[in-house]
Amino acid sequence: MNKRIMKKLLTHIVFIIALSALLGFGTNVRLIKQFLGGEFQYGFISSEEYPSISFIMLPEAEGLFAMNEALFIDSRNAEAFKAGHIAGAINIPYEDESDTRLLVELSVPKEKTLVIYCDGSECQSSVGLSKFLHDQGFTDIRVFFGGWKEWQMEGLPMEIGDDK
Amino acid sequence: MINNRYLHYLFRLILGGVFIWAGIIKITNPLGFAQDIANYQLLPQSISFFLALFLPWIEVICGVFILTGLFLRSSSFFLSCILAGFLFLIIVTMIRGLDVECGCFGSLSRQVDYKLLLADSALLFLSLNIFFFRKSLPN
Repeated sequence: MNKRIMKKLLTHIVFIIALSALLGFGTNVRLIKQFLGGEFQYGFISSEEYPSISFIMLPEAEGLFAMNEALFIDSRNAEAFKAGHIAGAINIPYEDESDTRLLVELSVPKEKTLVIYCDGSECQSSVGLSKFLHDQGFTDIRVFFGGWKEWQMEGLPMEIGDDK
Repeated sequence: MINNRYLHYLFRLILGGVFIWAGIIKITNPLGFAQDIANYQLLPQSISFFLALFLPWIEVICGVFILTGLFLRSSSFFLSCILAGFLFLIIVTMIRGLDVECGCFGSLSRQVDYKLLLADSALLFLSLNIFFFRKSLPN
């Protein structure tokens, strides 16, 4: 391929990228403002779309645990849960929203505080499960961002085996 | 490479259609797509966010160019690069053993597996064929 054709290709590609950026950023000004305002740092959940979901850090999770008022839900798979989980947590493994096993009714009031966690900051199943539970009508869902990794590192109360 | 004129048009119809469709699904749900990108656990949150805003538009614009024939060689070259990138991403994801949805078609996405690898390779084949197509050559 000669230099002239290569230059033409690159010019067109730059044009396509610029046009896409213009359209993509231009049509999402509101989302960009939300992002710059500090939203979506932990998960791509819009507070308008999912008003009942919030993100919490270790101290808040620890506080909720100590007050014994929240239900802790572990969204990792059954094996990971069995190997160790936050004391008192129940296991709802989450893969995707089409997973029908999730439809088992959670027998707690819809306004109960739920703390959802998975491995840690890199896993996403807690976010997916939170969205699902929001759609089920739960009104106070908190995603514990640090997850199992942080909890374990701090040596906080844990259990081994299936949930009761 | 296949240099048949009718197949060339068919390839353009398929490739353009797939990319316009895939792009539009993602444009309608930018946060969902941002989450899909984040699920690959490769890019920081901010890059996933901005990529999700404009990557779908690249797909739609290239798709339209492929269909209409405008900037045909440039857009098919660009799409080939993008598809090669996706191919690389699929292989890396499979090697890492991550169980994620590809995010290719919004909520209709499938898991990253060898079938996705084949589908992506097929699209790359179409795209390269369009790029290397020469009108002047006999069929």
